[in-house]
Amino acid sequence: MRPFAFVVFDGKHLSLDPRAPGRRLRIDARCVEGDPVRGAFAHVCALPDKAAALRYDEPEVQQARRDVLAWWIPMLGDQLVCLSTFALDASRCAGAVTVARDPSLFADDPFLRLFAGTVVPTDSFCAVAPPPGPPIERYAGAPWPGGGF
Amino acid sequence: MKPGGAFPDLDLPDHTGRSRLLSELAGGDPLALFTSRGWWCPKEQHYLRGLCRLQDEFEVAYARMVVVSVDPPEVQSAFRAGLGARFTFLSDSERRWLPQLGLLETTDTLHDPYLPAAFTLTPDLRVHRAYNGYWYFGRPTLEELRRDMREITMAVRADWEAPPA
Repeated sequence: MRPFAFVVFDGKHLSLDPRAPGRRLRIDARCVEGDPVRGAFAHVCALPDKAAALRYDEPEVQQARRDVLAWWIPMLGDQLVCLSTFALDASRCAGAVTVARDPSLFADDPFLRLFAGTVVPTDSFCAVAPPPGPPIERYAGAPWPGGGF
Repeated sequence: MKPGGAFPDLDLPDHTGRSRLLSELAGGDPLALFTSRGWWCPKEQHYLRGLCRLQDEFEVAYARMVVVSVDPPEVQSAFRAGLGARFTFLSDSERRWLPQLGLLETTDTLHDPYLPAAFTLTPDLRVHRAYNGYWYFGRPTLEELRRDMREITMAVRADWEAPPA
């Protein structure tokens, strides 16, 4: 499987169509390469502004990933469908998406500390086993938690 | 489960109740697996707090940790949160794997827990070293775990020696 796929975000809508208008973001390919979960909600913590990015190695981005492993995944429980950071290239992070069957906990998303969140109803994302931890480092530039050696 | 032997690909629920395979949790990385009596044992509490210190190194070193106990997932989840752990706990509350692994602690007839043990594993779940932790000092120290992870990483990463300029 390829290490990443693309989604396009225009500030309101999230599309898997690479020709859609908006910002192209790399996502863990497993999130979009399987049977999609209908009636889910995507919490997109990202901005359409192309300058909105942080390095994956910035402490705040590292800590958001730690928080995902420590309590965000357990808090979501069965509601979680999948999650992925958004990569722009080998070093920059443009935020993250958490997809859940119920949006009621999105106000606690650790990635909200990095970029504002937008809730988008979606039928496009697949159920993916969450990362087991503790690695927060990325595998050859893939959007965390995707990839592998 | 001796060095060089295959460790079973455990299929158990994790601390959130999701079904997991040990091979999936390894994900192609070296793995340290610990069997643990349970949340109630002071020795386990102390040892796992030590592992939580070590997780700060594992998180950047492409290595994994897994703890197996007979605690139910919801108990593991609370224990894990209290410890500040960011690695996976697997629940064998039905004691499905415990007899197959031969790790029943026979002296505790109240809990019928796992014997404390540790296994450092290659990404394909081969045993690198095995530790009997019935007595506390039989468990691997954090230094021994670092050593094992170094040895496994050296063996499985083709680019251990950085490419020459």
